[in-house]
Formats: sequence, structure tokens, C-alpha cells
Amino acid sequence: MTIKLRVNGVERVLDVDAEMPLLWVLRDVLDLTGTKYGCGQALCGACTVHLDGQVVRSCVTPVRRAEGRAVTTIEGLSADGKHPLQRAWSDLGVPQCGYCQAGQIMTAAALLAAKPRPSDDEIDHSLAGNLCRCGTYPRIRAAVRKAAGIADE
Amino acid sequence: MSERAPIRITRRAFLVGLNVGLGGLALGLYRLPPAQAADAAATGIDPNAFVHIASDGTVTILCARSEMGQGVRSSLPVLVADELGADLARVKVAQADGDKQYGNQNTDGSSSVRLQAFDDLRRTGATARAMLVAAAAKRWKVKPDSCTTRDHFVVHVPSKRQLGFGELVADAARLPVPKPDDVVLRPRQELRHLGKDSPHLDAPLMVTGTAIYGADVRLPGMLVAVIARPPVVGGKVVRHDARAALAVPGVKKVVLMPAPRPPWAYQPWGGVAVIAANTWAALRGRAALDITWEAGENAGYDSQAFRAELSASASKPGQTVRNLGDAEAALARAARVVEAEYHVPHLAHLPMEPPTATVRLADGRCEIWAPTQDPQDARSTAAETLGLKEDQVTIHVTFLGGAFGRKSKGDFIAEAALLAREAGAPVRLQWTREDDVHHGYYNAVSTQRLSAGLDDKGKVMAWRHRTAFPPIGSTFSDVSQPNAGDLQQGVLDLALDVPNVRAEACAAKSHVRVGWYRSVYNIFHAFAIGSFVDEIAQARAQDARDTWLELIGPPRKLGLADLGVEKLRNYGAPLDQHPVDAGRLRHVIERVTELARWSQRKQDGRALGLAAHRSFLSYAGCVVAAVRDPVHGVRVDEAWLVLDAGTIVNADRVRANLEGALTMGISNAMFGGITMKAGATEQSNFRDARIARIGDVPRKLHVEFVVSDTPAGGVGEPGVPPVAPAIANAVFALTGKRVRELPIARAFE
Amino acid sequence: MTRVGIRALVVLLLLSCAAPRGADEPRAALPASAPGELRAPTVFAVAFPDRAERSRALFLEAARVFLHPRCKNCHPDGDSPFQGDAPRLHDPPVLRGPEDKGIVGMECASCHQDRNLELARVPGAPTWHLAPRGMAWVGKTPHEICEQIKDPKRNGGRTLAKIVEHNAHDALVGWGWAPGAGRAPAPGSQAVFGSIVQAWVDSGAECPPEEARR
Repeated sequence: MTIKLRVNGVERVLDVDAEMPLLWVLRDVLDLTGTKYGCGQALCGACTVHLDGQVVRSCVTPVRRAEGRAVTTIEGLSADGKHPLQRAWSDLGVPQCGYCQAGQIMTAAALLAAKPRPSDDEIDHSLAGNLCRCGTYPRIRAAVRKAAGIADE
Repeated sequence: MSERAPIRITRRAFLVGLNVGLGGLALGLYRLPPAQAADAAATGIDPNAFVHIASDGTVTILCARSEMGQGVRSSLPVLVADELGADLARVKVAQADGDKQYGNQNTDGSSSVRLQAFDDLRRTGATARAMLVAAAAKRWKVKPDSCTTRDHFVVHVPSKRQLGFGELVADAARLPVPKPDDVVLRPRQELRHLGKDSPHLDAPLMVTGTAIYGADVRLPGMLVAVIARPPVVGGKVVRHDARAALAVPGVKKVVLMPAPRPPWAYQPWGGVAVIAANTWAALRGRAALDITWEAGENAGYDSQAFRAELSASASKPGQTVRNLGDAEAALARAARVVEAEYHVPHLAHLPMEPPTATVRLADGRCEIWAPTQDPQDARSTAAETLGLKEDQVTIHVTFLGGAFGRKSKGDFIAEAALLAREAGAPVRLQWTREDDVHHGYYNAVSTQRLSAGLDDKGKVMAWRHRTAFPPIGSTFSDVSQPNAGDLQQGVLDLALDVPNVRAEACAAKSHVRVGWYRSVYNIFHAFAIGSFVDEIAQARAQDARDTWLELIGPPRKLGLADLGVEKLRNYGAPLDQHPVDAGRLRHVIERVTELARWSQRKQDGRALGLAAHRSFLSYAGCVVAAVRDPVHGVRVDEAWLVLDAGTIVNADRVRANLEGALTMGISNAMFGGITMKAGATEQSNFRDARIARIGDVPRKLHVEFVVSDTPAGGVGEPGVPPVAPAIANAVFALTGKRVRELPIARAFE
Repeated sequence: MTRVGIRALVVLLLLSCAAPRGADEPRAALPASAPGELRAPTVFAVAFPDRAERSRALFLEAARVFLHPRCKNCHPDGDSPFQGDAPRLHDPPVLRGPEDKGIVGMECASCHQDRNLELARVPGAPTWHLAPRGMAWVGKTPHEICEQIKDPKRNGGRTLAKIVEHNAHDALVGWGWAPGAGRAPAPGSQAVFGSIVQAWVDSGAECPPEEARR
């Protein structure tokens, strides 16, 4: 099946199984390995990308759903790796193993796009779908606040 | 941002990345004479730290330990750089392949700083410094000891002349390497970053999706494999039908995996593999397999029933491994006996990155890319699996998306190697999350009985600890009894000021592959001991903090005779360098309770709990505040964790580690647990193998490490053990409900 | 005691008391129904000559669907859907959001697709979302649900004919009978359910008494 979609601003025409989850299209077909596999059941958020700006878990999103639409992955979040979230993440030393962080950042980016100054509860609620086994949650919270320009108490 | 070209891994790229053989100064430290080298390897000293300085001044430091989030790449190279006098911004870290020449690469047991030659890494930097200084001194015609290095320059102190490292490298490379005894280390206070915050070197890669993890390697012609493994450990394929699987577009081959024979060690798990053009096809192919399994000898393994077996085992005398005075007699004549039984289920690692490995066989050589904690062992496992010699196998270590002990085991690498041979093409083997949950090297399940005999004044005169668990040894040989070495984790090294102490190891057969999971047996020993001290305090209507300090006794260092043990493995460290130090255990308790305002511990709807534990030569104290929660019954509202690990390298990574340990402790305590029915694991994904989400972790998290220059203890694991008992104690103080079995959330369903 | 427990106790008490004559007799005339089946409208026509009684009984039959976990779980009274048959709160934790479609980063459609996914075990149907708060069914009696369904202010401004069409043909409603991945489906089928609702409307759309449960 031929699927046409934009990935990180680039038009792509792919000959793939329409039911192939977007995650595997990104990783196996397009070699964009920044988006990770963590669970395959939309339980962990490691696979988070944007579909027309909305958070989707690419591990369960069939690629046909992206037909004619725009997909943004961590590689496309910024041209230079300096999105305010990426800078805050580095400044505060957020990652430990780093595996979940692309998903965390993509979800946080959607949050900040919709709510530039989220409350602590809003941060926790929006990131509830992103697991971190290393336990970087305290720094994730701090980095989202920092990127949003919310001063530390 | 324009699309990146697919990453192609070639041998040349790695060589270029390492900057080896392209001029400059390369140091593989001093080679000890063979006899000394053997000794050094035995005590864990690594004689071959590696640093390279290029003519443009770029310093590349090899990290021979695996990066799994503990920040080793941002810690060990920093030591070298500080000793050298390098500007960290011009230091690159390269990851070492698995090779004996790098010494001990087993990233395990919280040992990278404490065992990975703290002195030897510094000595590498100092040797390079000495050579650069010698080259500059020669050029300036001054005495070497009038020079120093800083910020990537050699500086002649009196005249302030300076030369950059890059300018000196060609000259330095021609000089003889100084003998180790002639190399002078800087005074510690000159080490710029030691004990301070250093940047997280790899964060920029991780936040842009460019860090390469195990599943991110791409090779021409690479195929992807997944395996349907026997649901029960020791089970086998009776028959299988691959027709439907082979009919799935993209599926190339279906392979019957060899059935392992006990003891399991790191053998492939058996089952049926599907090799396909991409991951989706492989997953679909596997779902289309028709397999009949024979469950085997562990078919009857049932967690509920086994709990009763463990309880029975822990209720009888076991093998005595700690004995002071006569605990039996003292218990018999005690005015009052406090007794309790504690149970912790199997726990699974659940790293965010499930196991995966990529293998290419070509020209009689095997090349592996894997997120492995133990690359040398994986290398020999792969060699053995394929019938190759070790020097025909190269293993590259990628970033690890979490490990916690799971990726020390090379089983998944052996599986990938077999499938690469079957496929006649490079193969990436992908474990799904279900695979990871079902087929794990679980932390041992355990039941413990603790008994304390109090005299008529309430003083504890007797302490008896019986611990029953299937030991890790059972994975490697036919053992069903923990030994003294196992009990060193929290039982034998517990400082007690009690005249009669007895600890017994009780038998338990294993029905799964038992492995080690971040802090290992300390998890359940600390849970039991930490809860039990609290129960003694309750029995005496005493403040738990006072009870802890009274039971530990005055500040002192306990030797074998004081402990009542014949020998103590002591995590591989000599007891005189790393004693059982009651003073340090007391101190973390005093400090953490001070931070937590322990005197105000019982408030309306909020209660504190305390626990402390020695593990991996470090001391950790934890207080948590528990409140009621509408969903889980109780919740941790605030937490404090204090670690005394002696000398530490990267302060920020230590604090991050402690923050992570608190979260993992909450997961273990509140939600953790793998249970078995009819021999198979009941859980399958994060839906039922639950770990803490962001909302489960308190916003107020306070971590602190003790500033100290005593010899380095472990950092990666010691923060975990005291968390679960602190939570159980807080829950008791809040609700009056004493939870002696994890997970705690289940007690409130 | 939990809310469910209290309700069960109330039901037990009601059953043990003398029930209103009208509600008792006709129930005995209805043939038994297997748990996974819905009784066809014709059965009610036979058992209930009285139009109003028939209407009430038909709604009670329809309520077996409304109050089934597959349907009730997404008609919660609070901000979070339920999962499973127990039921328990949806995990990962999700919230209703301003348009009943979730919140930023955790929209229903972030995870749920237009159809069930078998390997991933995620249920799906077109426009997966929560019923508005006004259409909460958790903790409601059939009487309360009936009143809500008839009330244009609380039923999305629908006429009764539209209600029938929604129940009989809407794809998200229809998911309840094909939930996938070992989830227990609602009783009967959407077709039979649709015909029951039609028959209920045709017989005057009467609501069962407050105390009626089955």
C-alpha cells in the first residue's frame, strides 16, 4: 500500500503495510531511531511523536492514520537541538539512561504548545503516560517549568 | 530539520570515532608485570585505562564501563581529565569494546568508581600530564616541576608561558612513558570536579534522539527476529507449525531454537524464532505461529503455594552463618518476644529498553552491538554459542536504555548470535515488553522471619534472622540454599549492639531464572530488617529513631568477631578499608531524620517512616511521609534520602541516582511483584507489571550525600534498600496497618 | 462499604420486599435470558399486553447494555473512564478534558485508534471519547438513565428517533459488542439492541420505576 505523509517536514511516499505501526515505519523504514520501543501497548510513552501536532503513541498508530498528515519526531522537534525543552533537559541533567526522554520531551512539547505556563498538576497529568524507570520525574517536572519560564519557588 | 542519512556502521567509522592510530598521543596506561597484573585483576584494579590526545588537542578518554543511566561516562573520564588538567569541554568519551585488555568491564555491584581503579584512572591522566609537561619543559628548557597543567594547557608557573596540549602531543609521543612509581598524582583539592557537579556528557545526544541504543544500529541487509519462548522455565516445544507465520509478508525464516538444559546460566531460552525483513513482520509472524508446549518440571510453580513453602522453610532452623552468644537460649528466657514474617515477591527489572542485540557474521568473524553490562562475558558467551574463539568476536557496547542487572546476562546476545547464523544475514533480535516481563532473571522471592527477645526492661537481648530465598547460584548450578556470601547483603553486615545474634540461611528451590536486580538481596533484607526495627519500637512504645540508634549501638567499626561471622565477602573489599561502620550508619539516620524534621513526624493525615541500610560499602538512610490516597490507599507525599558513599566523583549524577533510587524504591514497595501460576508468569506488560508513574512520585524529594574523603563506596544501588521499609513504616504510622508483604498497594485494594 | 456494595444491598432488600404488583407479575412472564443474550422485542410484545408496562420492561432490557462494563466504563460520573469488569480506573491515568476527549498529551486518540488492535490489546472505534458528564451512567439506576436519555438537554439535543439511530448504528456504540482482546462483550448484538430501543420508543418511551433494576 502506498502511503504519503510528511515526516519532519519532508514529504515521504512509502510502500508499506497500511497497518504497520508508525513506530516501525519510522525506525525500520526511515531509519529514524530517535523514537523508541518500550511496550507496544501505549502504556509507556517511549514511542511518542506528534501527528499534526497532537501526541500519538506511534507503537499503536497504524501508518495509514498518518496519510496526508504531518509527523514530527524528536529528530524534527528543532533544527538545532535547542528547543527550550531540549536546552532545559540538558541544563538540568534530566536524562539518566535517556531511553524514555525523547517520548517525555515530545509530550512536554505538545503540552507547552497548548499551555505555555502549565500548572504542576497539568504537567503531571499530561506526562502521566510517559514512564521513566530511572526515576527522572523530579527533573522532568523542573525542566518543563524551566522551559516554560516558570521560576523556581 | 533535514532528514538524516541512515547510520551505517563500519569498522572504519569506529576507528575514526576513537581517533586511534591517527597520530597524537595514545596511552594504554602502564602494563603491570604479569604477576602484578594477575593480582590486580583479582582485586578489581584495572591497569589499562586509555586516553588519547590528538594533535588538535582533543582528548579522547575511553570508558570501559557500560552507561546505563548511572552516569559512568560522566564520572570516570572526569577523573582522568582532572588529573590531566584538561578542559572538559574538549574531552570526548569513547566507549570501549569488550576486551580483557581493559580489565574488569563488568558494570555491576556499584563498583565502577570504587573498584575501577580510582587511583589507576587518575594515574593514566597523571602519566599523560607528566609526558606533556616533559615535552613543554624540554622546549622551554625549564625544570618539569616548575610546570603544571590546567584548562588544556601546560603552564610554566614562574613565567606564565603556556602551550596547548595539541601543540605538544607530537613531542610528547616520542618521550618514554614514565614508570608508575615516578608519576605523581595531584593533591585531591586540585581535582577540579571531584565531588562536584559535572555536566551530563551525553544529555545532548539523548535529547535529540541521536544516542545509539541497542536497537538503533543499522547494517546493510539486516533482518529482525523475535522469539516465542516457552511459557514455563524449562519448558520445551513439542511441535510447531510455521506455515501461517511464513505466509506473513516479510517473514523470511522460522527457526526452532535449541532447548536449554539446566543449569540455565545465560543459555538461549529455547522456543521458536521468526526472522523477518522488519520488526512488524516479525511480530506478526510470531503471532501466527502454532506451537504446542510441554511445560516441564516447573509446571506446578505457583506463587501462592510457594509462599507457604518459603514460610515453612523460614520457620525452621537453617544453616547458621552468623552467631554471637546464644540467641536460642536468650529468646527462650526473654521476658517478651517480638516476631514477624516478611515476604517480598519476585521483582523484575523492567528497563525501558527491553533486551535486544544485533549480530553480524562475516568472514569467520562475529561482530556484536549490544546494550550489555558485561561485554567480556557476553563476548565469551557468543563465542561459545557459535563455536568460535574469543578473538574472532568483537562486541561493541551501545548505550543501555536502563539495565539494573538484567543486561549483565548474555542470553539475549547468544540468541541473536544463533539467529544471525541461521539467517545468513545480520540480525537484530528484539525482545518485546511481554518477553521481558515473562522471561526474566527475576530477583529472588523471599520470606524472612525475625525474632527479637526483650528483657524485662525492654532491652533487646536476642536477635534471630531466618531468611529463605532461592539464591542466584541456582541459575548456575544445582543449589537451593543461600550461603554466607549471599547473606553478606544486609544480614551479616548489620551492625547490632545485641549480645546474642543468630542468622540462618534457609533452603528454597528455584523454579525460575533468578538474577540480580539493583541492590539484589538487600531489597528484601532491608525490607524485613527495616520493618522489624520499627515493630520493636512499636512494641516498646518507643520512637523508632531511638530504637534504631540503640540497636545499632555506639559509633564503632565492627570486625568479624563483633559481627559473629567467620568471614565477610564485603562486596569484594578488604574489611580494613571498608569496615562495617556503625558510626556511619548512625550518621545517615541522624542526618535524614534531621532533614525530615522527625520530631514533627506525626501530623494530621500524614506520618513519617524511617529505615536505614548498609549495602555495597555505603550507608543510606531514608524517611518518607505517607498520606492517604483515593486510588492506591496510601501514597508517598514527601521523601528524604541520605547517602554516605565516601568519596564521590560527580555530585550531580550521585544526586540523580538517589532521586532514581527513591522512585525505584516506591515502585518496588507499592506496585512491584511478579507472580507465577501453573509455572508461568502472570504479568505481561506495564498494565500489570506496574512501576511508578510521575504522579506516584512526590514533588518534594530531598536527596543528599555525605561529603567525605573516605574510600569510595557504591552509589548505583545503596539508595534503594531503605526506601521500601521506610514506606511500610510510614504506612503503619499513618493507618495502623502493618504491611509485611509487598506490594503495599495490594493490601489496600 | 463501596458504592457498588450499597447498591447491591439495596437491590437485595428490594427483592426481598413485596414489589409493586405491576413490576412483579410481568417479570415472571418473561422467558429467561442467557447472560450474553438480549431478549427480542417480540418477546416483550407477548409478555406485556399493557403498552406502558411493555415500554418500561423494554427499557430495563436495554439497560442491561447501558450498564454493562463495555458501555458504562466510558460513561463515568467523574473525570476518569474505567477499565475491565471490576471495574478499575483506567490505567495509564487519563482525564476527561474540556471536550470529553482527554487532555493535552493524553488525548483519547493519542492511544485509541479507529478499530481494535489485537497485538497491542488497545480497544478502538471511530471517534473514541468519553460520554459527556451529563450522560454518566456509573452509579445510576435504569430510571435515571432513562430520564437522561429522553432529556434533550442531556442527550445531545437528540429526538427519540435520533436516539434509536445512534444506538442502532453508531460505530462507537457498536464497539461494545466487538470489544476485542478477550474483553466480555455487551449482551446480544447492536442490531437487537437497536430494535429494543426502537420498540421502547414505539411503545411510548416509558421509564421504569426508580426502584427497578432488571
